[in-house]
Amino acid sequence: MRKQVRLFILLLVCLGAAHAGDPEPMLITTTAQGKTMDQAVLALGQAITDHNYSFVRQQAIDSRLVPYAQEVRSVRLVYFCNFARMDRVLRLDPRATQMMPCRVTLVETPTGVDLIAVNPAWVSQNMPVLHDECQELKRDYQSILEEASL
Amino acid sequence: MKRSLCVLGLSVGLVLTVRAEPLSVSKNVDMRQALDDITLAATNHELVLVKMQPIDHALEKRGFENPHIRILFIGSESAVRWAEVAEPKLLNLLPLRLTLFQKDGRMTVISDDFEPWLREFPDAPAHLMIRAWQEELKATLDDFVKQ
Repeated sequence: MRKQVRLFILLLVCLGAAHAGDPEPMLITTTAQGKTMDQAVLALGQAITDHNYSFVRQQAIDSRLVPYAQEVRSVRLVYFCNFARMDRVLRLDPRATQMMPCRVTLVETPTGVDLIAVNPAWVSQNMPVLHDECQELKRDYQSILEEASL
Repeated sequence: MKRSLCVLGLSVGLVLTVRAEPLSVSKNVDMRQALDDITLAATNHELVLVKMQPIDHALEKRGFENPHIRILFIGSESAVRWAEVAEPKLLNLLPLRLTLFQKDGRMTVISDDFEPWLREFPDAPAHLMIRAWQEELKATLDDFVKQ
């Protein structure tokens, strides 16, 4: 019986370790040093296309919440997607919409523009069926942000 | 002893498989009526429909199967200003997203899962801010069901 208890405890420890894994960071961030907001948006659009994604739209963070003339110019949202991937993940789990469309938030700073994305692998922590797709999507985000920040 | 081990094993299994779920409601309406109802419900709670993303049409137009899913983004100026001042990282959660999906004549509306955000920001004011947005969405979804 003691052996059974030991085995059970060992199993628990293994399960716990597997469950914990390496924690995913919430955000993926890069900085486009010395760029203006317009330059950063343009570079991001090019990087999106280069990585086989389609540009969807860009807007201010407070778009439609305030009159156009009063919109904040220093924070912009750029949306994009890959329709084949969208089709694939929706078949796996409709909650994949939490990562749709892909989005980068651009924040103007005194030295350039920060490009920030919510890490899809962090979002999918509670959706194991989407784990592999989200890891791949995370790598795409990293490549896109890296290219856009050059 | 065996029984205790079974109970313990079952409990651990449950803990490991428990998944935080997003807010979710459903009712028998078509997509058009659902969009009208959710827009009205949002307005009742001082939220604005920022964008409707017709991914059902977008996918169908490109030769993929129609998933009967649309995404809505809703927000408020106060939420944006609050996040700008208190915790700019939360701007990444705005505008708030709702997903509408139709299956067997029934429309289900789900929110994003706020639990990872709440875990990431355990302290005030960010934690309270996320809770407040979650409550606003819950009230909106409850209103949607009553429309």
